[in-house]
Amino acid sequence: MFFSEKKNQFKSFTRRSFILISAKLTLLILVIIKLFNLQIKESEKYKTLSKKNRIDFKLIYPERGLVLDSSNTVLAKNYNKYDLYIIPEEIKNMGLLLKNLSKTIKITFKQRKKAISLSKKLKKFEMIKIVEDLNWTELEKVETNMINFSGVHLISSPKRYYSYGRHFSHVIGYTSKPSEIDMKLPYISSMPKLEVGKIGIEKQFNEILIGKPGIREIEVNSEGREIREISSEDCINGQNIELSLNLKIQKVINEQFNNLKSGSIVLMNIHNGEIIGMGSYPDFNPNKIIAKPNKKYWEGILSNELGPLNNRAIQGLYAPGSTFKMIVALAALKNNVIGLNENIFCKGKIEFGERFYHCWKTKGHGKVNLIKGIKESCDCYFYELSKRVGIDKIALMAEEFNFGKETKIELPSEKSGINPNKKWKKKNLKENWYAGETLISGIGQGYILCTPIQLATMISILANGGKKIKPTLIKKELQDQNNTNETKNINVSNDHLKIIEKAMIKVVNESGGTAFSQRSNFKDYNFGGKTGTSQVKKITLSERESEDFRKKEIEWKNKDHALFVGYMPINKPKYAISVVVEHGGSGSSTAAPIARKIFDEVHKQEV
Amino acid sequence: MVIILANIGFIALYSAAGSSLDPWAKKQIIRFVFGLILVFIISFINIRYWKKYAYHIFIFSFLLIIGVEFFGDQRYGAQRWINIFGINIQPSELIKVTLILALSKFYSEIRYDHIGYIRNLFIPFLLIIIPFIFIILQPDLGTALMFFILGIFIMFIAGVRIWKFILSFFLTLITLPLAWNYLLKGYQKKRILSFLNPESDPLGSGYHLIQSKIALGSGGAYGKGFLKGSQSYLDFLPEKQTDFIFTMIGEEFGFIGSLFIISLYFLLILLCFYIAFQSFSIFGRIVAIGVGINLFLYVFLNTSMVIGMIPIVGVPLPLLSYGGTVMLSCMISFGFLQNVSVHRQLKIG
Repeated sequence: MFFSEKKNQFKSFTRRSFILISAKLTLLILVIIKLFNLQIKESEKYKTLSKKNRIDFKLIYPERGLVLDSSNTVLAKNYNKYDLYIIPEEIKNMGLLLKNLSKTIKITFKQRKKAISLSKKLKKFEMIKIVEDLNWTELEKVETNMINFSGVHLISSPKRYYSYGRHFSHVIGYTSKPSEIDMKLPYISSMPKLEVGKIGIEKQFNEILIGKPGIREIEVNSEGREIREISSEDCINGQNIELSLNLKIQKVINEQFNNLKSGSIVLMNIHNGEIIGMGSYPDFNPNKIIAKPNKKYWEGILSNELGPLNNRAIQGLYAPGSTFKMIVALAALKNNVIGLNENIFCKGKIEFGERFYHCWKTKGHGKVNLIKGIKESCDCYFYELSKRVGIDKIALMAEEFNFGKETKIELPSEKSGINPNKKWKKKNLKENWYAGETLISGIGQGYILCTPIQLATMISILANGGKKIKPTLIKKELQDQNNTNETKNINVSNDHLKIIEKAMIKVVNESGGTAFSQRSNFKDYNFGGKTGTSQVKKITLSERESEDFRKKEIEWKNKDHALFVGYMPINKPKYAISVVVEHGGSGSSTAAPIARKIFDEVHKQEV
Repeated sequence: MVIILANIGFIALYSAAGSSLDPWAKKQIIRFVFGLILVFIISFINIRYWKKYAYHIFIFSFLLIIGVEFFGDQRYGAQRWINIFGINIQPSELIKVTLILALSKFYSEIRYDHIGYIRNLFIPFLLIIIPFIFIILQPDLGTALMFFILGIFIMFIAGVRIWKFILSFFLTLITLPLAWNYLLKGYQKKRILSFLNPESDPLGSGYHLIQSKIALGSGGAYGKGFLKGSQSYLDFLPEKQTDFIFTMIGEEFGFIGSLFIISLYFLLILLCFYIAFQSFSIFGRIVAIGVGINLFLYVFLNTSMVIGMIPIVGVPLPLLSYGGTVMLSCMISFGFLQNVSVHRQLKIG
């Protein structure tokens, strides 16, 4: 019986063993199936994941291109700034190190606190920036004590420096950390660490100046530490930008506003549109904006109600005043509404639609023909002309000279101004055009608004024989050859232009001309031009009747803008200028002298 | 076969250390050689003696487990190690082998038709459950469960009726919450809870599993080549020398490699059964099967863990994984296997 028990047990044992073995085999086969799925079927997916795991890309940052003037003087360059970093894994006692460091250089409590909190968050081999842009004395102090500061590293990185500070503030602009809007541009978001241009040339040519990043493909371990380099592609440094600007002239231009508050000057080559100098005031020092700390300087700029960051040359909108009279004259000549020698009598004011329109010369100019009208800037003459030719035809002529349109100069945020006509008013102000508005348009007042660069373009076209030009800040010789074929002429007869030119020469060089007192002192060159005084505040009837309103000290911000547009030399015109002095009083007394000084300088340089 | 696997283990450890014998491969080789000597010693001692002293050995290993609670080293938040004569060992690994011996002795000494007696159920159950509780408290859930399952399987193979297993399964379910509430202390509960809930540590077990899957998957059919496993080489794969050594092999040698490893193990398990069938004694048979079950549990739990079939419980792969006690207990169990084979003709009941 015992024996059969044993047999039974062995039987059960055998049976159960087979159950166990088959159960195990099943389970192992399950494992193998899962492995098959993982290693054969989904292998591709995991291969990518594995690659992602171990491969990291590091950018090699290109150096930003330089900005040069027309004679290759460097205006914006890069220098190495030194930032102080620490690497926590190399430091034994963080608190002690920071304490010792702060004895050597200035470290604020906030910086220390930030460093300690960062060291806890980041991986211990990652660098933490403590102080940015050390100055030379600080740098020297740290370097001499380097033995005591293990774990402290001085890392250099390029930083922008503007060699001539405020002289090119608006034109070149400045760089800073990219904003969220900047980041939408692919060439900026691909290198988010680099600073980008915020205004001016720096912004306009960001893509060219910034260059292309190089990429290092590296293998990293699970901590992100670099193990080896797999491949590396070098970066392409940013291209240099050669401007048409001339440093010496620019300096002289800027000098003119040393004692003036605000305004703008544009000097331009009338044949190719190259800008030789461009100033806008008040200006700023870009080096102070990009320096750290800049809070105080920056707040000063932002709180200045004159808006120093605005580039008035392309963004300032002014009524052209009398400088617009050439356009009205050309419109009249073209439409045959006036004879060249036809006289109009100026008695100081004309009556139109139960309103008086005054000439600047209260006593009147007497008999005035076209040349005299421009030379002496007789308002009554131009009231009459504009009445005859009509606003739409004036606007048409102004359009030929680029009024109401951006000049497309290579600067961001250019304003287009307003070149009004009947349709414009209906569309924008939902009102009909009044005949009286045509009269004030005839002397460049009313709705019309333009920028100094538009004025410079206008005078250039007048002086170059009617050739349409586009203002540019880039050396013409460097520009695409395709662009040079746009030597279209404006739709104005050459004879008419000659007449206007003659009149503009007389403005400066003939007794009685509004800028005669500012004529050139040099014997070997003369310039022509036109003054303008653009009203800021409407002169009320009572003020006018008080007779001596001109002599009264008017509050600065209510004073007229002083304008002058001119070109030089008269025998072979080459350069054109537009000067706007905000609230500067009259064009002949404030703006014309500035133009003369700059022309003198240009003349000296040319000789 | 054992030697083949062990050699694969050395090579894998050599790779894990970044083509270096230190710190793992060299030590492992020494342990293996030591283990081989142990295999011979164990196999040549008459099986009768082993049977005679099976309970003593079991109690000794159980005492070590208790010792861990009091004198043990804390590592990775668990108390599993004990230092004996300068060697750190994990008694919970050893007790698996001694449990095999003890249960085998018990079942070979009772009458088969008395196997259903309450007393005959209760004693093996106690042998299993008491060390189980202690291991769980270390806490080492993986080993504890393995230990428990091993015991149950031995009872099964010995011939205990299946319905009794089902009944006790439900009984356990009922008593579990009671034990949780009344038997365990606060810190013990905390240890177990944090073990059961690895998601509370996102870079912990979840990360391990993902990296393990990436490593295996990227290995593909033929692998990245020896010493070229980027996942393990660049430290993405944690614990590559121990619990995840199978992953590393799978990464470097692909599906072919992992299939080969599993097949080897399966052959080894079959060998256990073969030896069992050849033995004329119940004791010998149960010991051999027990060793086979133990080996299977290691292999299955480890491989299914690294491919994400079961949660990560920290079960090593015998002979391959770096670790002294596992190597030791494995070699001891192979020693017994060898012993059963050598003394297969002996009818010792």
